[in-house]
Amino acid sequence: MFPACRAEHTLRPPRLVPELLGVRPNPFPDQGAPEPGRYSDPVPPAPPPQSSVAGGPGDRDGAEGPESSEPLEAAARTRHLDQVICEIGAEVERRRASGDLPASLESELDALFLEFSPVGLQAKSRMRQTLALVDRSAYIDLAVPVASRKVVGRSLKRLIKAGIGWYMGFVVHQIIRFGWSVSRLFHVLVDRVEDLERSVERVQDPGMPSSVVPRLDAARQWWVPEALRAMTGVGGRVLHGECGNGTFVVMLTERGIDAYGVDPDAQVGREALDSGVDLRSEPLIDHLELVEPGALAGIVLTGSVQWLPSGDRRRLVDLLSTRMSERSVLVLQSMTPEAWSTGSSPIVGDLAPGRPLHPETWIHLLQTCGFATSEVFSGGQDRRIDPVGPDHPGATSVNGAIDAVNRLLLGPEEYLVVASR
Amino acid sequence: MKVAFVTPRYGEGVIGGAETATRMLAEHLCRLPGWDVEVITSCALDRLMLANTEPEGTAVTNGVSVSRFPTAERSVREHVALDSRLRVSPSTATVGESMRWLELNGPLCPGLTDAVRESNADVVVCSPYLFATTTDSVAVSRVPVVVHPAAHDEPALYLPVFATIFRHADGFVYYTGAERALVERAFRAASKPQLVLGLGIGDPVGVGRAGGDLLGIGERPYLCYVGRVDEHKGCRMLEEYFIRYKLQRKGDLALAFVGPVSERAPSHPDIVVTGAVAEPDKWDILAGAEVMVNPSAYESFSLVLLESWSVGVPVLVNAACGATMEHCRRSGGGLWFDSYRSFEVTIDRLLTDRRMRRRLGDAGQRYVHQHFRWPTIIERYGRFLQGVSGRGRTNDPGRLSPVLGGRLTGPQKKPHPARE
Repeated sequence: MFPACRAEHTLRPPRLVPELLGVRPNPFPDQGAPEPGRYSDPVPPAPPPQSSVAGGPGDRDGAEGPESSEPLEAAARTRHLDQVICEIGAEVERRRASGDLPASLESELDALFLEFSPVGLQAKSRMRQTLALVDRSAYIDLAVPVASRKVVGRSLKRLIKAGIGWYMGFVVHQIIRFGWSVSRLFHVLVDRVEDLERSVERVQDPGMPSSVVPRLDAARQWWVPEALRAMTGVGGRVLHGECGNGTFVVMLTERGIDAYGVDPDAQVGREALDSGVDLRSEPLIDHLELVEPGALAGIVLTGSVQWLPSGDRRRLVDLLSTRMSERSVLVLQSMTPEAWSTGSSPIVGDLAPGRPLHPETWIHLLQTCGFATSEVFSGGQDRRIDPVGPDHPGATSVNGAIDAVNRLLLGPEEYLVVASR
Repeated sequence: MKVAFVTPRYGEGVIGGAETATRMLAEHLCRLPGWDVEVITSCALDRLMLANTEPEGTAVTNGVSVSRFPTAERSVREHVALDSRLRVSPSTATVGESMRWLELNGPLCPGLTDAVRESNADVVVCSPYLFATTTDSVAVSRVPVVVHPAAHDEPALYLPVFATIFRHADGFVYYTGAERALVERAFRAASKPQLVLGLGIGDPVGVGRAGGDLLGIGERPYLCYVGRVDEHKGCRMLEEYFIRYKLQRKGDLALAFVGPVSERAPSHPDIVVTGAVAEPDKWDILAGAEVMVNPSAYESFSLVLLESWSVGVPVLVNAACGATMEHCRRSGGGLWFDSYRSFEVTIDRLLTDRRMRRRLGDAGQRYVHQHFRWPTIIERYGRFLQGVSGRGRTNDPGRLSPVLGGRLTGPQKKPHPARE
């Protein structure tokens, strides 16, 4: 649960080992003394070293220091919180290692937490902590409490304990062995999962800075009339994937189409969202995973769909086949592969995890998920070279070469595929 | 624009986050020009017994027309037995079993179902998901139904009947992004119109008295918990953790449980249990606390967190609770614990670092001011309801009949006689 301390959070002088100096360590080296008279800490504090959370020594004396009047930025708040949680996590580990609580008591108290806490969505990030609980639970304490308010009761419990101790010991020994075997298996699995996670991280492309990713403003796009025509009359809900500022969603709803949009950038659609347009800030594929099968009558795909890595593209095609209804329409806009290197920003061109496909390839992929009818439209900036005039020397051969270059390398830089089933 | 809110219990005395949220939304929405708001609810106020303590009929409360219908008898014993059995593996329960669970969970109000069916509202709003009032309304309403699930990751969420109900709702309003993620993951409801709304919060109504005086502990520092004192809200865990904490630290720190007690009142010389208190008392106690602790893992919004922050008090929450964790992460106004050790260490840290407490409290206060003021909330909400109403009913409620069996059309159970 507690995030590992990151490099930027470790800008503090190396800690001396106070135990070696005969000094008990301060539980919170970064904060200083407790407020006098409020509560007594069993562990007396050591002199405060440099703080990593507060601004300087004056911040750590527990007194009401002057608070900055400027509002804390979200990033600064997050950093502060992460740092505090990190320090708390380290202190938790230190106290656990100190053994000041009997293991059985600590295990009992942790079990109490689990009893009142669901193991659901949060479990993914708590693998190691949950595993530690499994380890602790794998030990069964044979030392049955025999205390009783009545002397007879205590004697009776002792008698029972002594009488069946050998039997219980035999059984419990096997249960503990089983528990530890299972626990060991989990350790192997967790190690393996973490190895895999690290491997996946290594092969991932570096992310593109969001500032270079083009954000869609449908008001200025050539393909809008065709896309609107294609979506008119679809009988159900229409999703615009990577909808940018939501302009096209508004255009659809103005024509009576039940439309909504998703875009991974929370800021770009903020204005439309505030004015009541149904927009969600999440990645397209993540969103489609959470859509009921057959729920969508139309999907418009723009934006980074064109540069998806192959695995994501395959997943997208699978999701299109299941999430769209029997009679549905798909519109997909993309840059041509020929225009990719010159038409996109250099950073997008270099760092995008995939490359645009030819329209024929998309048609082929869409046919695999049941889209039969497809139309292709070309548009966008026309990069063709104009032919030279007839009075130009060698005009015929020059124009022949220009035609060949235009046909093979240039031409409209974008296309739109409209497919239906 | 007319809105009919459907909720199992309604009224100022009702304890329950979702029910309180419904009342607040209804009372704020009815003040908007052009909005007509009615509430359709049961005659019960108490969650556990669901006894018909309120008179049947229609009355206007704080500008809202409230129609109450008597609840049918149910067997609490049978409910507990079935619940214990189903909660082990709820997703494998049959539809029949989960329908029976729903009936036993109550309140079952045949009159309420008829009123929803015949309502002339433009949109029906139901909350929370867990009750027959919601499932029946989704099944019979002729107009679009918006559900405020108020869902948390609990066994009942996975009973098969709820998947069907979520599929047939026309829109969802969530209190937090965590709740939305949970529902969408559980029911693949992402394509439905939805809104992460939260709730608004009014100005504190404390009158500036010292919280310690109200609690009878003088100037002793104290932690406080505000809400229903219930094992399921993590109160037993908090009690035991606090007692263990005090065993190790001989100070004058106290813990106050502020709210009605469901089962057993915590008992310890350093623990104060107030029972239900008046709003000004609650605010004064809250304002005087060092830290407000919410140990519950089952929260869908947690209004009390925002109340704490609005008076600048930092919070400590259960790390397993998505909603409260989301608030803390977004605001930077609170910390969390996921074991006794982290509880102990975090309390130590919070108590010994007054500057950090203030910093957390201030961050929380800013968060509340930015996101949870009523005018903003209610404007967004009204616009969303208009949008859903404009789409019309997108699902045929008749398709739900096979799931709900003959209960909605069959003979009605005799209502429990209203108590004085």
